[in-house]
Amino acid sequence: MRAANFVESFLLEVSFFFKESILSEDYALRPGFLQAIDCRLRVLGILVILLAVLFSRSLYFIFFIYLICLFLTSASKVELGFFLKRSWFFVPLFSFFISLPAIFNIFTPGSPLVGFRVFGFYLAITRQGLKGASFFFFRVLTSVSLCALLMLTTRQNSLLKVLRLFRVPQIFVMILGMCYRYVYLFLELLQNTYLAIKGRVGFICSLDKKQAVVGSIIANLWQRSYHLNEQLYQAMLSRGYRGEPVVWDDFKIRPVDWMWLFFCLVISCSVFYWNAKID
Amino acid sequence: MSDLIFELKDVSFSYLGRFLALKDINLNIRKGEKVVIVGANGCGKSTLLHMLDGLIFPERGVVKFLGRQLQQGDFNDDNFSRDFRRKVGLLFQNSEAQLFCPTVEEDIVFGPLQLGLDKELIRQRYLKLVRLLGIEGISQRPIHRLSIGEKRRAALAAVLIIEPEVILLDEPTSGLDPSTSRVVVDIILQANAEGKTVVTATHDMHIIEEIADRVLCLGQEKTLVKEGPVAEIMRDRKFLQDNNLIHAHRHTHGSTVHLHPHSHLEHHS
Repeated sequence: MRAANFVESFLLEVSFFFKESILSEDYALRPGFLQAIDCRLRVLGILVILLAVLFSRSLYFIFFIYLICLFLTSASKVELGFFLKRSWFFVPLFSFFISLPAIFNIFTPGSPLVGFRVFGFYLAITRQGLKGASFFFFRVLTSVSLCALLMLTTRQNSLLKVLRLFRVPQIFVMILGMCYRYVYLFLELLQNTYLAIKGRVGFICSLDKKQAVVGSIIANLWQRSYHLNEQLYQAMLSRGYRGEPVVWDDFKIRPVDWMWLFFCLVISCSVFYWNAKID
Repeated sequence: MSDLIFELKDVSFSYLGRFLALKDINLNIRKGEKVVIVGANGCGKSTLLHMLDGLIFPERGVVKFLGRQLQQGDFNDDNFSRDFRRKVGLLFQNSEAQLFCPTVEEDIVFGPLQLGLDKELIRQRYLKLVRLLGIEGISQRPIHRLSIGEKRRAALAAVLIIEPEVILLDEPTSGLDPSTSRVVVDIILQANAEGKTVVTATHDMHIIEEIADRVLCLGQEKTLVKEGPVAEIMRDRKFLQDNNLIHAHRHTHGSTVHLHPHSHLEHHS
């Protein structure tokens, strides 16, 4: 059903975005290749490859990693079409338009490939500019794709647990976990509050009324979250919480997980070979 | 040796010093008892349970647990706090507040982990409980994807895994379907049969006879208005009506509309 006005469509869109992109764990629960790897080594492996992408001076190497990423996507039972749409959507925003000016001779002087005049000014696309922009674009594309693949194939909860690997304080990890837990609850509350208001007063037409409704929803949400915060702390105390949470660590590393990490290290180390070839 | 678990003497409490929640409460709860606290909405049942769980403390009067007065400062002592939390468990009325971890499994094991129980022991208790409550299939599910009944079962598991000697239950069957409600009642009965003390706050009058030896009734003035064996309380129709614990039930016999108080009194005739 199509939303009737800005407030409603905004609430629905925000809610849909969170549910789909953050809270959906459908891909993470599929029996795919990456999903089967211990999440600590999965994250570590992807990080190692990401570092190699950052240090690479060879466009071929970056292409090669991108192809591996697509292969992993397919092996992890993530539809390629969905994955490409998701990763390519943000890439133009963050890299293509940013790197576009760099291809011209004003920013990157060099040997011109194509030249033209704009309002009397001579503009040319240079070989060096095009190379630099391509590097930037494909580096971002490959990095974003690897991160997106990691997010899709790993449950939020496991990702949070992995933060402990990097010595992130447990209390911080727990607060993050709670944020994920309660974002959904508050989103539902937000939608229900709006529907309850709409159910009583009908369609809200004037801007003043819309603003008043949004204001009252925010105030209501604040009050409820404050109240829930108190209850939640009491629930934690009741179960023995003393300020430093103890957590359930049930990670198990199997030989196949070490093989994955070895594979990532070999791939990453090959960056030195590709870089040396350029030199 | 006294078998008193809780002793409350002239206990009063108000929120923010303004909103009275309990007034001059005097009561004792003995080891192995099944006690039900009844009363209309807003009469202080939840507040009383929170006080018994050492989450809030009286403004006036004394709360004793196993003969020792409960004071806020006592809970700064790790040993006392850990010992108390191992002995007393509270099921909150709002499962959304009680289940704060990302998955059901993590939430259930949160309590015993904080209390320093052995991980292998926690694992054994966990497996036993999820089977008992029929929640094996949802153990890895995020909390926001659970139904109300599943949330209540998970919350109950989170309390029972600690194996407390005293179980405090705040509206354990409210909003549940009959089958989940039955599971909860059976768990209460089983826990009591194992020697645990069970204190339940509810206004589900149809389960009281099963889950109570003794009934404590809180009134709108936030005082303890009546206390006694379940049959005696349930037979006092005027008292139940005065305290909003029974309602008029309207139904038809052929073409005649019939109206009578609905209190499950037939069980006590």
